Amino acid sequence: MSEGVIAIADRVRSGEQSAEQVARDALARIEARDGELHAFLHVARDAALAQGRAVDARRARGEALGPLAGVPIAIKDAICTRGLPSTAGSRILEGYVPPYDATVIERLRAADAVVVGKTNMDEFAMGSSNENSAYGPAKNPWDVSRTPGGSSGGSAAAVAARLTPCSLGSDTGGSIRQPASLTGTVGLKPTYGRVSRYGLIAFASSLDQIGPFATDVRGAARVLSVVAGRDPHDSTSLAAPVEPFEEACGRSVRGLRIGVPEEYFAEGLDPEVAGSVRAAIRELEAEGCVVTPVTLPHTRLAVATYYVIATAEASSNLARFDGVRYGLRVGGERDLRAMYGATRDAGFGAEVKRRILLGTFVLSAGYYEAYYGKAQRVRTLVRRDFEAAFRDVDVVCSPTAPTPAFRLGEKVDDPLAMYLSDIYTLPASLAGLPAMSVPCAPTRAGLPVGLQIVARPLEESTMLAVAAAWEARSPARDRAP
Amino acid sequence: MAAPRIDRAMVHHVAKLASLSLSDSEADRFAGELARIVSYVEQLETLDTKDVPPTAHVQLDRAPWRDDRVEPCLSHEDALAQAPRVEEGGFAVPTFVE
Repeated sequence: MSEGVIAIADRVRSGEQSAEQVARDALARIEARDGELHAFLHVARDAALAQGRAVDARRARGEALGPLAGVPIAIKDAICTRGLPSTAGSRILEGYVPPYDATVIERLRAADAVVVGKTNMDEFAMGSSNENSAYGPAKNPWDVSRTPGGSSGGSAAAVAARLTPCSLGSDTGGSIRQPASLTGTVGLKPTYGRVSRYGLIAFASSLDQIGPFATDVRGAARVLSVVAGRDPHDSTSLAAPVEPFEEACGRSVRGLRIGVPEEYFAEGLDPEVAGSVRAAIRELEAEGCVVTPVTLPHTRLAVATYYVIATAEASSNLARFDGVRYGLRVGGERDLRAMYGATRDAGFGAEVKRRILLGTFVLSAGYYEAYYGKAQRVRTLVRRDFEAAFRDVDVVCSPTAPTPAFRLGEKVDDPLAMYLSDIYTLPASLAGLPAMSVPCAPTRAGLPVGLQIVARPLEESTMLAVAAAWEARSPARDRAP
Repeated sequence: MAAPRIDRAMVHHVAKLASLSLSDSEADRFAGELARIVSYVEQLETLDTKDVPPTAHVQLDRAPWRDDRVEPCLSHEDALAQAPRVEEGGFAVPTFVE
């Protein structure tokens, strides 16, 4: 039986089905399908069954169960899980078992969710196709010759194939939304600071944000309501109250103003994707939304801006992988610097090295102001574009990705072409805005297409209302591979 | 400013700053790829940003102080458990002071 988050939690809470049985079923689906999909880097069989039994024991004692009672969830391997390997898709962390849980994991456990495993990803979340995983890519369940997207490709593939009803990913420049679009799942990047980053292996700290994937909008809303909220362990997490996100999914969208940015329907956009997204926007108009064009003039500079800022931050964050405190260590009985160099050369893959080199270059003496300083100023202009648009509209709707899922191997030799596949997701990341992808009508070949909805800071509720209104009319609703 | 020349020597210089040991063939490949990416990034130069302040982060709140009280933390044993080499209760590293 494959059902959504809400139905499973209801059944477990009512006692109709045990959490252990739900976990067994999920593990059986993973066993049957994951040899082909490679969505998981680690399946936590024993821990999941034990966690399921613990939930059942709490119910037997008459204790009230949490909002994710018995719900199986898959976790991106960049998120630290106590006692379970957490490699971030990298050789340099092969075999690393964190001694603590990320805050989001503590909150999931407290809500009685059951962690079934760790999902495949581009190494250190650097990539858009999963092909930068040191352990080989995850596959798209709709067509296994195609990418599930990246970097949270395994988390997307697990939900698309209905191995689990939900998962956690992380999004730095589109790493939740783009794979959600390519796999026909719901994927949500919260406002920067909405969800604690404590225990997320850092890529670019001013951009990284953890968020849910789910088979439906309400499921994503429920997971978000569990993981969101202020955490003293993350100084960038926000004190803003966690709203009833699930209730927002039932809210009327009549009179809500949707902005459609012309810059997002320009050269490079697949015509079938454009048609599907425009049809979704027309349906929302029929629901009573007011659709108006908006302009986000600095969109064309977002890719360059992002690749300077994100690589600069990454070059600093990844300095911690030095062979001393955890992970791989190569050579160096006598020479500390040689040990650092040999460890990092052996432990990092090509894309990670490329980004560390670019980030180090843009921060280096003589180039800092010309590249890093410049990109920070253009980032301000990208933010101002959205601030201006949100004076006239409540949400911005666009395609999530310019194309449907591309073939594995298609862009692997052209880093710049790969970077350009994130063109529509990067601006909201640079501006720190909440954004999500919801499935709309597939292409003629049956490949999923995603509608991206972006809202003002902390207005996840407005975004979810629009997403749910569209989902109710979407031809992609309940469509599974 | 003039576009920088990204060649093998430049890549080796940057790699040294980043504590990466690269072979010459790796350095040559990265030089070509980075030159293309940097030339793409040069388009930012087309924009006048003289009067635009930089955005380093988009944090909405100022980080609040937490209460000054001792809280549980990792045990010494747990903190060392994942280290490739441990000696005398600490992380072992090669000699770096003669």
